[in-house]
Amino acid sequence: MTLKGGYFRKYLHCDLSAGTCERLPLSDEIIAKYIGGRGFGAKMVWDNLKAHDFKIDPLGPENLLVIAPGPLTGVYLPASGKTSFVSISPATGLYGDSSMGGSFGVELRQAGLDFLSVTGAAPELSILFIDDDEEAKIIPMPQLKGKSCLETEGIIKKHLGSNDVHVAAIGVAGENLVRFACVNGDWSRNAGRTGIGAVMGSKNLKAIVVRGEADLPVVDLDAVIQETEKAMRYMREHKFFHVWQQQGLMSVIEYANTQGILPTCNFKATVFQGHDKINGETMLDRYKIGDSACFMCPMSCGNICLVKNGKYTGTVTEGPEYESCAMLGSNLGVDKFDAVLEANRLCDEYGIDTISTGGIIGAIIEGYESGVVSLEDLDGSEISWNDDGAIMELIRKIAQREGIGDTLANGAKAIIERWPEMDKLLLQVKGLEQSAYDSRVGASMGLAYATSDIGAHHTRAWTIAKEIEEGANWTPRQKVDLVIYHQTLRPLFDMLGVCRLPWIELGLNERHYEKFYSYVTGKETTLEDLLALSNVIYSLTRRINVHMGATRKDDTLPYKVREAPILTGPNAGKKLDAQEFDKMLSLYYEVRGWDENGVPPAEMEALF
Amino acid sequence: MSKKLTVIPEKCSGCKLCELACAIKHFGVNNPKKSAVRVLVTYPHPVVRMPIVCSQCKKPPCEDACPVGAISRSDGVVKIDEDVCISCFRCVEACPFGAVYVHDDCTFPIKCDLCGGDPECVKQCPKSALLLLPEYSLGSSNRLNNVLSYSQMKEIEYSEEGEVKTIRYAEIGKEEL
Repeated sequence: MTLKGGYFRKYLHCDLSAGTCERLPLSDEIIAKYIGGRGFGAKMVWDNLKAHDFKIDPLGPENLLVIAPGPLTGVYLPASGKTSFVSISPATGLYGDSSMGGSFGVELRQAGLDFLSVTGAAPELSILFIDDDEEAKIIPMPQLKGKSCLETEGIIKKHLGSNDVHVAAIGVAGENLVRFACVNGDWSRNAGRTGIGAVMGSKNLKAIVVRGEADLPVVDLDAVIQETEKAMRYMREHKFFHVWQQQGLMSVIEYANTQGILPTCNFKATVFQGHDKINGETMLDRYKIGDSACFMCPMSCGNICLVKNGKYTGTVTEGPEYESCAMLGSNLGVDKFDAVLEANRLCDEYGIDTISTGGIIGAIIEGYESGVVSLEDLDGSEISWNDDGAIMELIRKIAQREGIGDTLANGAKAIIERWPEMDKLLLQVKGLEQSAYDSRVGASMGLAYATSDIGAHHTRAWTIAKEIEEGANWTPRQKVDLVIYHQTLRPLFDMLGVCRLPWIELGLNERHYEKFYSYVTGKETTLEDLLALSNVIYSLTRRINVHMGATRKDDTLPYKVREAPILTGPNAGKKLDAQEFDKMLSLYYEVRGWDENGVPPAEMEALF
Repeated sequence: MSKKLTVIPEKCSGCKLCELACAIKHFGVNNPKKSAVRVLVTYPHPVVRMPIVCSQCKKPPCEDACPVGAISRSDGVVKIDEDVCISCFRCVEACPFGAVYVHDDCTFPIKCDLCGGDPECVKQCPKSALLLLPEYSLGSSNRLNNVLSYSQMKEIEYSEEGEVKTIRYAEIGKEEL
């Protein structure tokens, strides 16, 4: 059945090797089964893998990159500015995706496209320019070599003589194939995780530039408006709405510290003495100069900060948010907010993920402290906790692949290969460095990291807060069910192309989204229908990972989580009970209908 | 009493809700590009997020530029008479703020009409960055800020014909970095 709204039923496929861009029809079947965003991405990546007999080098020209907003992206509803970047991840060698806010995806849809797929590699550094319904162009721009993400956006706008285009660009790190390089769009919105920036770098694709002006296909706009009014009213009246507008995710620093889950000095501790020097209040008092919001978002969680005095005077950055501030702040023992801002800015300019960067540098500092990494390994430059000068230098070396940075740039797997003892210090799952929530405090968070298809990222299931608040007497089954519910609902937001924060942070009822989807497409759909589709995609990405060699042993947790108890704070002494975890993992597979090795039935592939 | 649609860029988050609300109100479609208000963002030097919208000038340059007399101002709103307009877009080029817009689908320039006195963008802005203010109040916050800055008077000493004198002065309108 052809849906009346929600889709243009077209996508753009660019083969950078052949230098061709084609608008191709998107079938009703794919639309009905995969919804959009991460769903389209997973499907296209799956088809591409099959076509290559599951032998794909993440940094080879054959790796397909899919950039997909969803059917709700750009629609008049809360926080509808999300776009998924999907590919085989250079960090894990498995399925990878990351989502970006801002307005980039809105613009891509307004160019009349449901998504964009890119394969091949350009002979020289190029940009892809999609100008509304005109034929897309691959434009060589070797002059962008070595330019930072923000410089690139500025140069492109000047070159095209237009401020109306939206740019998603990589920095030096993406060009240098740093395996946790990100894509930076709309000045400072990042598709941060799983190294999508390196995929672009491997394709010699410095930036994707898009401008569009088509009406978005919405069947019942009046109904959407009414539903949005309800949702917006709920959000505005929420008691934390104004805290969100003021602090955004920075308010989580205090929460995490109080709860004892704030990563401190490479997750040695989970309470940070200098927390009040890097928290949201400090930011508001001394640094914040403006708000930033993604498309249609009243929460404006982005903070624009300026350092007004001291050695980083003049540093302007959009951020930090919780993850960046925790990983580049407390996790490195840094209690100087201006240094956190500068580190955040450097990561944005070079185009590297703040979570992976903070995780790796934290492990290196502890590695040096404990003798695993020698002074010679560090190119003769010492590094220690709170040593902001050395930290900035290491960030630069990673992005530019200089000295020790050349190994670090290859990510967790390469680091552990060079220094096997680092396995005990570096927190990662499947090669992706862990986010800034300590899973030793909540077993469900451990299960969430271990079974996440992209590695140790909180985006799939963020269950820790609920477990801390309500989970003292939960049965393993309750934990498993919560993780699976999150792993089904949260990716649904990525499929629809909207942000999950109104739901997870302000408790906006997820039922709104079944209505939004129904009104936009003209097809009455329930949340259960959508969740069932999302659930199939989780099995699809799992099948991808199985084909790429992942098994039960990869659904594990970092050594520290398993073996090293938290040193201080309210959760001192806690670590994961390995036996209990193993049982819970088996139960998780059972509930999912996968075998004891975590493999979904091969017959499922007939569904994909 | 005349009212003016006023923009406070310091409060704008760049969410573009105003754009979409305007387009829906005037064209009934989900398309932020059919809006009479657009948010322009510059970053990182300087950091500005500013909705750009018609000032309803009392001596409108767009009116002067219109070769067929389609633009006129009445009841505080500069209006384009679509029966007269020939869509030459001279008004778009003449506006010193760039606050008149063009879209491929639309024959006529897109320009703010204050929604008949109750602008949708003002109602929907989640940050109160767009306000409809009485004209007499324009500039009042600047006046107050400047007066307040006098509380931090500075002094310089100088000598005149061998005699040391002091001047007290206030730096007006210069924000502390």
